[in-house]
Amino acid sequence: MTDTADAVDRTPSDESGVELDGISVAFDGVTALDDISLSVAEGEFFTLVGPSGCGKTTTLRAIAGFEPPTEGTIRIGGRSVEGVPPEERDIGIVFQNYALFPNMTVRENVGYGLRFRDSPGDQSPAARIDELLDLVDMEGMGDRDPTELSGGQQQRVALARALAPGPEVLLLDEPLSALDAQLRERLRVTVRDIQQELGITTVYVTHDQAEALAISDRVAVMSDGRLEQVGTPEAIYREPASRFVATFIGDNNLFEGTVTDTAPPRATIDGQPFLLPAGSEVSAGESVTLTVRPEAIELGDGDATLTVTVDNVEFLGDAYRLHCDWQGQSILVKTSAWTQTDDAVELGIDRDDVRIILDSD
Amino acid sequence: MNERRWAERLAIPLGFVLTVAVLAVVFYYPVWSVFSQAVWSDGGPTLAPLLDVLTDPFYTGVAHYLFTDPLAVPGGIATWLQAGMPAVELGLFGFTAYQALLSTVASVALGLPGAYLLARYEFTGRETLRSLTILPFVLPSIMVAVGFVAMFGSQGFLNDVLGLLGLGSIEILYTLEIIVLAHAFYNAPLVTRLVAAAWESVDVRRVETARAMGASRMRAFRDVVLPELLPSLLTAALLTFIFTFMSFPIVLALGGLRLATVEVWIFARVQSLALAEAATLATIETVLSLLLLYVYLRYEDRQSSASSGGTPLARRPFLVGWNTLTDLRRIGLLTYGVVALAVFVGPLLSLVVESVTGPNGAFTTAYYEFLLSRQTATASGTTRPLPAIINSLVFGVGTLLLAMPMGIVVAVVATRDLPGSRLAEAVLTAPLAVSGVVLGIGLLQTLVFGTVLFGHRFTVLGPVAIVLAHAIAAYPFVTRNVAPALGSLDDRLVDAARSLGATRTRVMLDVELPLIGAAVTAGAAFAFAISVGEFDSTVLLASNVDSYTMPVALERYIGNRSLGPSLGPATAMATVLLAITAASFVVIDRMGGRWDL
Repeated sequence: MTDTADAVDRTPSDESGVELDGISVAFDGVTALDDISLSVAEGEFFTLVGPSGCGKTTTLRAIAGFEPPTEGTIRIGGRSVEGVPPEERDIGIVFQNYALFPNMTVRENVGYGLRFRDSPGDQSPAARIDELLDLVDMEGMGDRDPTELSGGQQQRVALARALAPGPEVLLLDEPLSALDAQLRERLRVTVRDIQQELGITTVYVTHDQAEALAISDRVAVMSDGRLEQVGTPEAIYREPASRFVATFIGDNNLFEGTVTDTAPPRATIDGQPFLLPAGSEVSAGESVTLTVRPEAIELGDGDATLTVTVDNVEFLGDAYRLHCDWQGQSILVKTSAWTQTDDAVELGIDRDDVRIILDSD
Repeated sequence: MNERRWAERLAIPLGFVLTVAVLAVVFYYPVWSVFSQAVWSDGGPTLAPLLDVLTDPFYTGVAHYLFTDPLAVPGGIATWLQAGMPAVELGLFGFTAYQALLSTVASVALGLPGAYLLARYEFTGRETLRSLTILPFVLPSIMVAVGFVAMFGSQGFLNDVLGLLGLGSIEILYTLEIIVLAHAFYNAPLVTRLVAAAWESVDVRRVETARAMGASRMRAFRDVVLPELLPSLLTAALLTFIFTFMSFPIVLALGGLRLATVEVWIFARVQSLALAEAATLATIETVLSLLLLYVYLRYEDRQSSASSGGTPLARRPFLVGWNTLTDLRRIGLLTYGVVALAVFVGPLLSLVVESVTGPNGAFTTAYYEFLLSRQTATASGTTRPLPAIINSLVFGVGTLLLAMPMGIVVAVVATRDLPGSRLAEAVLTAPLAVSGVVLGIGLLQTLVFGTVLFGHRFTVLGPVAIVLAHAIAAYPFVTRNVAPALGSLDDRLVDAARSLGATRTRVMLDVELPLIGAAVTAGAAFAFAISVGEFDSTVLLASNVDSYTMPVALERYIGNRSLGPSLGPATAMATVLLAITAASFVVIDRMGGRWDL
């Protein structure tokens, strides 16, 4: 510990991984990140997800050292990295457009970081490059030019390049977004497998909520430069903490209502009574937003029964998605039962499938 | 570690400040000193020099009444109309505009069929032909003038051929026609290139939509294609007018004082040491050309959005067997090809042929031997050839050393979206808009004759002033080549390299420089070609000193009427110039260089 207030504290804390403590970033006076605090555990796969412009990439760039925060502290491996330039932060980064050096071969790309950092475990650079190319299934492609490779191959090389010097943290900025859907799903399993194999602390940025849920240990949902919710994929999906999270993550139905009773808890929406899960902490007269996932709604009776008209039926392969109209409000239903357009049907909602978001703001 | 980071952060700003300082001293200050003579005398502002010029019928022709007797102008015009609009006296400015207009018409006439051919027909060598439309841009104009003398002069190639055929001889040297033709040599390719590019960007689907809606082929051309061609045609015509309005070496060498344009007359005034009058003329000319340039930029700005990105019109094969000779359009284009060959290839070919042909028509290497000799031949006056060649090469290298860093720094500033970088770019590219003659006068009056600063008199040697002037003329072309390459570099490449542990300097050496290498090489070849061919300011700065270059020597060889043009040595030296600039062109072309201003 030092006794001068503005000296940088480089004492390792107990926690490793990445820690953000009250990070704010402003561009030309416009706030891009507003007081972000989060902590990524060592070896964790942590994903920042949100719509474009929400600040997720800025957060990643702040960790990498490309955007110095206007306020707050970032710690990597427990040490503050304030004033440390990107080249000294011991990170590996992968971008959406691969950013392979077109003037170097695949091998030279993968080996570039080894010009400045030692290979882990006293390997020779050549052996390390071979090992990494092997890891990403690109053995034998070392002498190609990056431009000769497909998008998926280029992204594998970019991943190998980022991992070659054995960085403390791997940063991935929308790495799969430029690839077509099938390849994207295949490659995200590869990324997850490699991360598990190496046990490397990973911060992953994506706008694709399905991708975020599929591969992460924990997810942070961002909106407008702020953190909306941090949690496991299941928690984020099942217990959204805000209207934004409820609608951004997966399909959802939102109902605006008022709490009428507390024992048992009950609310009313446009005159329609809704039973709330037992033990809900609500008080009478409170305005609430209720959310119900489309797959939780059944055709037929339930704790709440809504009579709707089916406007549109989409066949998804494993199910049908019904676009229904209930008193002018549209309701999505995912069901295996076939219905005809313009049918009037009853929808049943079980009280335990209702989630409550308190309208605090 | 911190010091290194500071050095990295300061390198570009420092280079920028240095570049601005160089520009201020060797461009803005000298040019300002020229302009100030026109509006400033005896410590106060004055209009006298400007009025002297504007009220002199020699300069302004009938327009001088606008300044001497403006009230009588409407009556004068009425009388003139009643008299059936007889020819009027144009004056120097009027004649300059008149020849520019004729040159523009000739360039459009010669360039348009070429655009049609390139855009609409497929044939072997089409891509090469398109690249070659750039070539005139790097050919020194005094060399082209020598080519025209070699082709059309009294002892030229054309008359040799006519003589052999027993058809007598023609004499079109020192006429307006030959000047207009030489201007067309330069500017018709510009018309071809710009219009062909517009033609190729016409989306075939728009034409097909018009046809599907009932328009005939001609109607679809008129309604869909033509509106997309006109802006580019107007752009090319406007640029041609500006270029030929400011034309100097072509008019000087092929016309002389009898057909002088403003620029030539300024030069003549400087030669007779009438510097104040020259400065006034230069001021008026620069104002006029800046006005034209402003009109051009405004117009260009409005046009730049039209890129459709659709499928271009399909090209027809040009050669279709014997049918080629029955199709009127193809016959027309073949005829055009013959004319184009005569205008574009003729002068350059004549140049090379005459350089190895003796007075008796036999092969000779005497002229090339002369180039390497240290003495002067009587026919070439006092201008020795070898120093000219050596000077040109040395100045070319000097120009590279100065223009490359300047051009690259400006490119970096232009591509980083910093506040004020647009303004900075304008200030830094202004040298393109001021003629070499004006800069030459300015440098002569300030740096060469000497400037008193802090009680000391600073003078710059002629050769140094020449390199400075060349660098000023050349660095915008370095910028034009490097800036797009820098702009297309992905910022993520830099980020990726830094995340792997490379410092900012290492990133520049390992990634950025290799990726913009081709553009830098193209810029260098450009700068070298500009320097080797520069005539306008060199001819002023090299007078009376042993620092003349090849273009200056060329002008002396063919301009010495008392001795008669000594075509042999001139063509030999011009061929050397042709070889150097053609080599530069090949480098530029291979490196994917850019010419558009």
